[in-house]
Amino acid sequence: MNRPHAAFLLAIAILAVAVSFSGCKIGVPAAGSASNPAALADEPDVTFKDLQGKDVTLASFKGKVVLVNFWGTWCEPCRGEIPILIGMQQKYSPKGFTLLGAATNDEEKTVDAFIHNTQFNVGGQQMTMNYPIVMGSDDISNKFGGLLGMPTSFLITRDGKIAKRYIGSLNENQIVKDVESQL
Amino acid sequence: MKLAMRCAFGFALSALILISGAAATPAQDNAAPKSPSEIVTTHSFVSLDPVPRGKEFQAAVVVKIASGYHMNSHKPSDSYLIPTTLTPQLPPGFKLAEAIYPAGRDEKFPFSPDKPLNVYSGSVTLRLRLTADDGAALGAATIPVTLRFQACSMSACLPPVKVPVSLELQVVAAGAGSHAAHPEIFSAKPSS
Repeated sequence: MNRPHAAFLLAIAILAVAVSFSGCKIGVPAAGSASNPAALADEPDVTFKDLQGKDVTLASFKGKVVLVNFWGTWCEPCRGEIPILIGMQQKYSPKGFTLLGAATNDEEKTVDAFIHNTQFNVGGQQMTMNYPIVMGSDDISNKFGGLLGMPTSFLITRDGKIAKRYIGSLNENQIVKDVESQL
Repeated sequence: MKLAMRCAFGFALSALILISGAAATPAQDNAAPKSPSEIVTTHSFVSLDPVPRGKEFQAAVVVKIASGYHMNSHKPSDSYLIPTTLTPQLPPGFKLAEAIYPAGRDEKFPFSPDKPLNVYSGSVTLRLRLTADDGAALGAATIPVTLRFQACSMSACLPPVKVPVSLELQVVAAGAGSHAAHPEIFSAKPSS
Protein backbone atom coordinates (compact mmCIF):
# COMPACT_ATOMS: atom_id res chain seq x y z
CA MET A 1 0.00 0.00 0.00
CA ASN A 2 1.41 3.43 -0.90
CA ARG A 3 1.77 6.12 1.78
CA PRO A 4 -0.98 8.50 0.65
CA HIS A 5 -3.43 5.60 0.53
CA ALA A 6 -2.37 4.47 4.01
CA ALA A 7 -2.77 7.97 5.38
CA PHE A 8 -6.18 8.26 3.78
CA LEU A 9 -7.31 4.99 5.35
CA LEU A 10 -5.93 6.01 8.73
CA ALA A 11 -7.75 9.34 8.62
CA ILE A 12 -11.03 7.70 7.72
CA ALA A 13 -10.55 5.05 10.39
CA ILE A 14 -10.00 7.69 13.08
CA LEU A 15 -13.11 9.55 11.98
CA ALA A 16 -15.21 6.40 11.84
CA VAL A 17 -14.07 5.23 15.26
CA ALA A 18 -14.90 8.64 16.70
CA VAL A 19 -18.35 8.44 15.17
CA SER A 20 -18.98 4.83 16.17
CA PHE A 21 -18.26 5.60 19.79
CA SER A 22 -20.76 8.45 19.88
CA GLY A 23 -23.95 6.48 20.52
CA CYS A 24 -24.61 5.00 17.11
CA LYS A 25 -25.90 1.41 17.14
CA ILE A 26 -24.95 0.60 13.56
CA GLY A 27 -21.59 -1.09 13.44
CA VAL A 28 -19.52 -3.15 11.09
CA PRO A 29 -18.04 -5.91 13.23
CA ALA A 30 -14.31 -6.17 13.34
CA ALA A 31 -13.17 -8.84 10.97
CA GLY A 32 -12.70 -12.09 12.77
CA SER A 33 -11.05 -10.86 15.90
CA ALA A 34 -11.74 -9.04 19.10
CA SER A 35 -14.01 -6.06 19.06
CA ASN A 36 -14.95 -3.66 21.78
CA PRO A 37 -18.65 -4.08 22.37
CA ALA A 38 -19.77 -0.47 21.92
CA ALA A 39 -23.09 -1.65 20.46
CA LEU A 40 -23.53 -4.73 22.68
CA ALA A 41 -25.63 -5.15 25.76
CA ASP A 42 -23.67 -3.67 28.62
CA GLU A 43 -24.60 -6.28 31.17
CA PRO A 44 -26.60 -9.10 29.55
CA ASP A 45 -29.38 -10.51 31.72
CA VAL A 46 -29.16 -14.10 30.56
CA THR A 47 -30.46 -17.39 31.91
CA PHE A 48 -29.09 -20.53 30.30
CA LYS A 49 -30.25 -24.10 30.85
CA ASP A 50 -27.68 -26.68 31.82
CA LEU A 51 -27.78 -30.20 30.38
CA GLN A 52 -30.12 -31.30 33.17
CA GLY A 53 -32.53 -28.45 32.40
CA LYS A 54 -31.64 -26.35 35.43
CA ASP A 55 -31.36 -22.56 35.17
CA VAL A 56 -27.87 -21.08 35.11
CA THR A 57 -27.78 -17.28 35.17
CA LEU A 58 -24.84 -15.29 33.95
CA ALA A 59 -25.30 -13.16 37.06
CA SER A 60 -24.45 -16.18 39.22
CA PHE A 61 -20.86 -15.88 37.97
CA LYS A 62 -20.43 -12.30 39.20
CA GLY A 63 -17.13 -11.96 40.96
CA LYS A 64 -15.44 -14.14 38.35
CA VAL A 65 -14.05 -13.28 34.96
CA VAL A 66 -16.06 -15.35 32.48
CA LEU A 67 -15.40 -16.30 28.89
CA VAL A 68 -18.75 -17.26 27.34
CA ASN A 69 -17.94 -19.43 24.33
CA PHE A 70 -20.77 -20.11 21.87
CA TRP A 71 -19.91 -23.35 20.13
CA GLY A 72 -21.46 -26.44 18.55
CA THR A 73 -20.51 -30.09 18.32
CA TRP A 74 -21.05 -29.76 14.54
CA CYS A 75 -18.70 -26.78 14.24
CA GLU A 76 -15.14 -27.76 13.38
CA PRO A 77 -13.52 -24.39 14.23
CA CYS A 78 -15.29 -24.56 17.61
CA ARG A 79 -13.83 -27.99 18.26
CA GLY A 80 -10.42 -26.79 17.14
CA GLU A 81 -10.20 -24.21 19.91
CA ILE A 82 -11.44 -26.46 22.74
CA PRO A 83 -7.89 -27.53 23.77
CA ILE A 84 -7.05 -23.84 24.31
CA LEU A 85 -10.17 -23.41 26.42
CA ILE A 86 -9.46 -26.50 28.51
CA GLY A 87 -5.95 -25.22 29.14
CA MET A 88 -7.24 -21.80 30.17
CA GLN A 89 -9.77 -23.31 32.56
CA GLN A 90 -7.04 -25.41 34.10
CA LYS A 91 -4.63 -22.50 34.46
CA TYR A 92 -6.89 -19.61 35.44
CA SER A 93 -9.85 -21.08 37.34
CA PRO A 94 -7.91 -20.90 40.66
CA LYS A 95 -7.52 -17.15 40.00
CA GLY A 96 -11.23 -16.40 39.63
CA PHE A 97 -11.86 -17.26 36.00
CA THR A 98 -14.22 -19.66 34.31
CA LEU A 99 -15.14 -20.70 30.83
CA LEU A 100 -18.83 -21.17 30.10
CA GLY A 101 -19.52 -23.16 26.95
CA ALA A 102 -22.92 -22.45 25.38
CA ALA A 103 -23.76 -25.23 22.93
CA THR A 104 -25.87 -23.83 20.10
CA ASN A 105 -27.91 -25.58 17.40
CA ASP A 106 -27.32 -28.82 19.25
CA GLU A 107 -29.35 -31.34 21.24
CA GLU A 108 -28.69 -31.96 24.92
CA LYS A 109 -28.00 -35.67 24.46
CA THR A 110 -25.51 -34.99 21.66
CA VAL A 111 -23.72 -32.41 23.78
CA ASP A 112 -23.76 -34.64 26.85
CA ALA A 113 -22.18 -37.52 24.94
CA PHE A 114 -19.65 -35.20 23.36
CA ILE A 115 -18.40 -33.61 26.56
CA HIS A 116 -17.99 -36.95 28.31
CA ASN A 117 -16.52 -38.97 25.47
CA THR A 118 -14.41 -36.65 23.36
CA GLN A 119 -10.75 -36.43 24.29
CA PHE A 120 -8.63 -33.44 23.38
CA ASN A 121 -4.89 -33.17 23.24
CA VAL A 122 -3.96 -30.44 25.71
CA GLY A 123 -0.20 -30.02 25.84
CA GLY A 124 0.30 -33.73 25.19
CA GLN A 125 -2.28 -34.79 27.74
CA GLN A 126 -5.64 -36.31 26.75
CA MET A 127 -8.45 -34.42 28.47
CA THR A 128 -12.22 -34.00 28.24
CA MET A 129 -13.89 -30.59 28.55
CA ASN A 130 -13.35 -29.35 32.08
CA TYR A 131 -15.65 -26.34 32.23
CA PRO A 132 -19.41 -25.81 32.64
CA ILE A 133 -21.53 -26.41 29.57
CA VAL A 134 -24.98 -24.92 29.05
CA MET A 135 -27.35 -24.79 26.12
CA GLY A 136 -27.51 -21.71 23.92
CA SER A 137 -30.51 -20.51 21.93
CA ASP A 138 -31.48 -17.73 19.55
CA ASP A 139 -32.98 -15.74 22.43
CA ILE A 140 -29.77 -16.02 24.39
CA SER A 141 -27.66 -15.11 21.36
CA ASN A 142 -29.81 -12.03 20.84
CA LYS A 143 -29.17 -10.91 24.39
CA PHE A 144 -25.50 -10.85 23.47
CA GLY A 145 -26.26 -8.73 20.42
CA GLY A 146 -26.68 -11.67 18.03
CA LEU A 147 -24.09 -14.07 16.68
CA LEU A 148 -22.44 -13.53 13.31
CA GLY A 149 -20.93 -16.99 13.31
CA MET A 150 -19.55 -19.75 15.45
CA PRO A 151 -17.50 -19.85 17.48
CA THR A 152 -18.18 -16.48 19.05
CA SER A 153 -16.89 -15.68 22.52
CA PHE A 154 -17.57 -12.88 24.99
CA LEU A 155 -15.20 -11.86 27.76
CA ILE A 156 -17.22 -10.84 30.82
CA THR A 157 -15.74 -8.75 33.61
CA ARG A 158 -16.02 -9.62 37.28
CA ASP A 159 -18.99 -7.26 37.56
CA GLY A 160 -20.88 -8.94 34.71
CA LYS A 161 -20.16 -6.55 31.86
CA ILE A 162 -19.06 -7.51 28.37
CA ALA A 163 -15.46 -6.46 27.88
CA LYS A 164 -14.83 -7.92 24.43
CA ARG A 165 -16.37 -10.00 21.68
CA TYR A 166 -14.40 -12.47 19.57
CA ILE A 167 -15.84 -13.70 16.27
CA GLY A 168 -14.35 -16.85 14.83
CA SER A 169 -11.50 -18.97 16.11
CA LEU A 170 -9.73 -17.48 19.10
CA ASN A 171 -6.20 -16.26 18.86
CA GLU A 172 -4.58 -17.94 21.85
CA ASN A 173 -2.08 -15.17 22.59
CA GLN A 174 -4.74 -12.50 22.44
CA ILE A 175 -7.32 -14.26 24.60
CA VAL A 176 -4.73 -15.17 27.22
CA LYS A 177 -3.56 -11.57 27.34
CA ASP A 178 -7.13 -10.26 27.58
CA VAL A 179 -8.09 -12.69 30.35
CA GLU A 180 -4.96 -11.96 32.34
CA SER A 181 -5.70 -8.23 32.09
CA GLN A 182 -9.05 -8.86 33.82
CA LEU A 183 -7.69 -11.03 36.63
CA MET B 1 -25.03 16.24 14.36
CA LYS B 2 -28.25 14.31 15.04
CA LEU B 3 -27.93 10.64 15.91
CA ALA B 4 -29.48 9.34 12.66
CA MET B 5 -27.17 11.49 10.57
CA ARG B 6 -24.22 10.47 12.70
CA CYS B 7 -25.10 6.80 12.25
CA ALA B 8 -25.46 7.17 8.50
CA PHE B 9 -22.17 9.03 8.40
CA GLY B 10 -20.44 6.39 10.51
CA PHE B 11 -21.90 3.57 8.45
CA ALA B 12 -20.83 5.20 5.20
CA LEU B 13 -17.34 5.75 6.53
CA SER B 14 -17.11 2.19 7.79
CA ALA B 15 -18.22 0.91 4.39
CA LEU B 16 -15.65 3.16 2.75
CA ILE B 17 -12.94 1.75 4.99
CA LEU B 18 -13.92 -1.76 4.04
CA ILE B 19 -14.00 -0.91 0.35
CA SER B 20 -10.70 0.92 0.49
CA GLY B 21 -9.15 -1.83 2.59
CA ALA B 22 -10.37 -4.48 0.19
CA ALA B 23 -8.75 -2.65 -2.68
CA ALA B 24 -5.48 -2.27 -0.85
CA THR B 25 -5.06 -5.56 0.98
CA PRO B 26 -5.93 -9.22 0.44
CA ALA B 27 -9.28 -10.40 1.81
CA GLN B 28 -9.12 -11.49 5.44
CA ASP B 29 -9.73 -15.23 5.78
CA ASN B 30 -11.16 -14.81 9.24
CA ALA B 31 -13.79 -12.22 8.32
CA ALA B 32 -17.09 -12.46 10.13
CA PRO B 33 -19.36 -14.78 8.18
CA LYS B 34 -22.07 -13.42 5.93
CA SER B 35 -25.66 -14.60 6.07
CA PRO B 36 -26.54 -17.93 4.35
CA SER B 37 -28.31 -16.15 1.49
CA GLU B 38 -25.12 -14.19 0.76
CA ILE B 39 -23.00 -17.33 0.85
CA VAL B 40 -25.11 -19.73 -1.18
CA THR B 41 -27.27 -19.19 -4.24
CA THR B 42 -29.25 -21.91 -6.00
CA HIS B 43 -30.65 -22.47 -9.47
CA SER B 44 -32.84 -25.42 -10.38
CA PHE B 45 -33.20 -27.25 -13.69
CA VAL B 46 -35.28 -30.15 -15.07
CA SER B 47 -33.93 -32.53 -17.72
CA LEU B 48 -37.10 -32.94 -19.82
CA ASP B 49 -39.45 -30.35 -21.25
CA PRO B 50 -42.22 -31.31 -20.84
CA VAL B 51 -42.13 -34.40 -18.59
CA PRO B 52 -44.24 -37.30 -19.94
CA ARG B 53 -45.91 -39.49 -17.34
CA GLY B 54 -44.04 -42.76 -16.87
CA LYS B 55 -40.69 -41.43 -18.09
CA GLU B 56 -37.81 -40.94 -15.70
CA PHE B 57 -36.34 -37.44 -15.56
CA GLN B 58 -33.80 -35.63 -13.48
CA ALA B 59 -33.80 -32.41 -11.54
CA ALA B 60 -30.60 -30.54 -10.73
CA VAL B 61 -29.92 -27.89 -8.15
CA VAL B 62 -26.77 -25.93 -8.93
CA VAL B 63 -25.38 -24.49 -5.71
CA LYS B 64 -22.91 -21.63 -5.95
CA ILE B 65 -20.85 -21.08 -2.82
CA ALA B 66 -19.21 -17.71 -2.26
CA SER B 67 -15.46 -17.46 -2.46
CA GLY B 68 -13.77 -18.13 0.90
CA TYR B 69 -16.57 -20.39 2.11
CA HIS B 70 -17.24 -24.11 1.95
CA MET B 71 -19.94 -26.50 3.05
CA ASN B 72 -19.70 -30.08 4.23
CA SER B 73 -20.14 -32.60 1.43
CA HIS B 74 -22.89 -35.22 1.53
CA LYS B 75 -20.38 -37.57 3.14
CA PRO B 76 -18.42 -35.39 5.54
CA SER B 77 -15.23 -36.55 7.19
CA ASP B 78 -16.80 -37.17 10.60
CA SER B 79 -20.17 -38.28 11.87
CA TYR B 80 -20.66 -35.10 13.92
CA LEU B 81 -20.45 -32.86 10.85
CA ILE B 82 -23.73 -31.99 9.17
CA PRO B 83 -23.98 -33.33 5.60
CA THR B 84 -25.41 -31.43 2.67
CA THR B 85 -28.74 -32.95 1.66
CA LEU B 86 -31.38 -32.31 -0.98
CA THR B 87 -34.85 -33.51 -0.01
CA PRO B 88 -37.91 -33.20 -2.27
CA GLN B 89 -41.41 -32.84 -0.89
CA LEU B 90 -43.07 -34.83 -3.67
CA PRO B 91 -46.61 -34.03 -4.81
CA PRO B 92 -48.92 -37.02 -5.48
CA GLY B 93 -47.81 -39.08 -8.47
CA PHE B 94 -44.10 -38.26 -8.24
CA LYS B 95 -41.51 -40.76 -7.07
CA LEU B 96 -37.88 -40.30 -6.10
CA ALA B 97 -35.55 -42.98 -7.47
CA GLU B 98 -32.29 -41.55 -6.16
CA ALA B 99 -30.54 -38.43 -4.95
CA ILE B 100 -27.13 -38.08 -6.59
CA TYR B 101 -24.43 -36.17 -4.73
CA PRO B 102 -20.99 -35.50 -6.16
CA ALA B 103 -17.94 -36.48 -4.17
CA GLY B 104 -16.51 -33.66 -2.09
CA ARG B 105 -12.90 -32.58 -2.00
CA ASP B 106 -10.57 -33.19 0.93
CA GLU B 107 -9.24 -29.83 2.09
CA LYS B 108 -7.29 -28.65 5.10
CA PHE B 109 -8.26 -25.46 6.92
CA PRO B 110 -6.51 -23.28 9.51
CA PHE B 111 -8.86 -24.63 12.20
CA SER B 112 -8.18 -28.23 11.16
CA PRO B 113 -4.58 -28.22 9.96
CA ASP B 114 -3.95 -31.93 10.44
CA LYS B 115 -7.28 -33.42 9.48
CA PRO B 116 -8.65 -32.73 5.98
CA LEU B 117 -12.38 -32.14 5.73
CA ASN B 118 -14.50 -33.38 2.84
CA VAL B 119 -16.25 -30.29 1.50
CA TYR B 120 -17.96 -28.62 -1.42
CA SER B 121 -16.75 -25.21 -2.55
CA GLY B 122 -17.22 -23.08 -5.66
CA SER B 123 -20.08 -24.62 -7.61
CA VAL B 124 -21.69 -27.99 -6.96
CA THR B 125 -24.56 -29.72 -8.78
CA LEU B 126 -26.90 -31.96 -6.80
CA ARG B 127 -29.34 -34.14 -8.72
CA LEU B 128 -32.55 -36.05 -8.17
CA ARG B 129 -33.80 -38.93 -10.35
CA LEU B 130 -37.57 -38.68 -10.47
CA THR B 131 -40.60 -40.16 -12.19
CA ALA B 132 -44.09 -38.79 -12.71
CA ASP B 133 -46.60 -41.65 -12.83
CA ASP B 134 -50.29 -41.73 -13.75
CA GLY B 135 -51.21 -40.07 -10.49
CA ALA B 136 -49.29 -36.88 -11.34
CA ALA B 137 -51.58 -34.03 -12.37
CA LEU B 138 -51.22 -32.90 -15.99
CA GLY B 139 -50.01 -29.37 -16.57
CA ALA B 140 -47.72 -27.12 -14.61
CA ALA B 141 -46.23 -28.64 -11.45
CA THR B 142 -44.02 -27.34 -8.71
CA ILE B 143 -41.92 -29.69 -6.59
CA PRO B 144 -40.62 -28.07 -3.41
CA VAL B 145 -37.13 -29.20 -2.45
CA THR B 146 -35.18 -28.47 0.70
CA LEU B 147 -31.44 -27.91 0.54
CA ARG B 148 -29.84 -28.37 3.94
CA PHE B 149 -26.26 -27.34 4.47
CA GLN B 150 -23.82 -26.04 7.01
CA ALA B 151 -21.23 -23.59 5.74
CA CYS B 152 -18.03 -22.19 7.18
CA SER B 153 -15.42 -19.61 6.31
CA MET B 154 -11.76 -20.13 7.16
CA SER B 155 -12.36 -19.38 10.84
CA ALA B 156 -16.05 -19.48 11.67
CA CYS B 157 -19.21 -21.36 10.81
CA LEU B 158 -22.82 -20.51 10.21
CA PRO B 159 -25.47 -22.64 11.88
CA PRO B 160 -27.00 -25.36 9.73
CA VAL B 161 -29.78 -23.97 7.54
CA LYS B 162 -32.56 -25.25 5.30
CA VAL B 163 -33.08 -23.36 2.06
CA PRO B 164 -36.25 -23.89 -0.01
CA VAL B 165 -35.79 -24.51 -3.74
CA SER B 166 -38.57 -25.01 -6.32
CA LEU B 167 -38.56 -27.29 -9.35
CA GLU B 168 -40.90 -26.04 -12.07
CA LEU B 169 -42.05 -28.46 -14.77
CA GLN B 170 -44.87 -29.37 -17.13
CA VAL B 171 -46.40 -32.86 -16.96
CA VAL B 172 -47.91 -34.31 -20.13
CA ALA B 173 -49.58 -37.61 -21.01
CA ALA B 174 -47.51 -40.75 -21.45
CA GLY B 175 -46.00 -40.97 -24.92
CA ALA B 176 -46.33 -37.23 -25.63
CA GLY B 177 -43.43 -35.45 -27.30
CA SER B 178 -40.62 -34.17 -25.13
CA HIS B 179 -37.08 -32.97 -25.56
CA ALA B 180 -33.95 -32.99 -23.42
CA ALA B 181 -33.36 -29.72 -21.65
CA HIS B 182 -30.14 -28.27 -20.23
CA PRO B 183 -27.78 -30.91 -21.64
CA GLU B 184 -24.89 -28.81 -20.36
CA ILE B 185 -25.96 -29.81 -16.85
CA PHE B 186 -27.47 -33.24 -17.26
CA SER B 187 -24.90 -34.75 -19.61
CA ALA B 188 -22.05 -33.74 -17.36
CA LYS B 189 -20.62 -36.15 -14.83
CA PRO B 190 -21.61 -35.15 -11.28
CA SER B 191 -18.77 -33.13 -9.83
CA SER B 192 -18.09 -30.51 -7.21
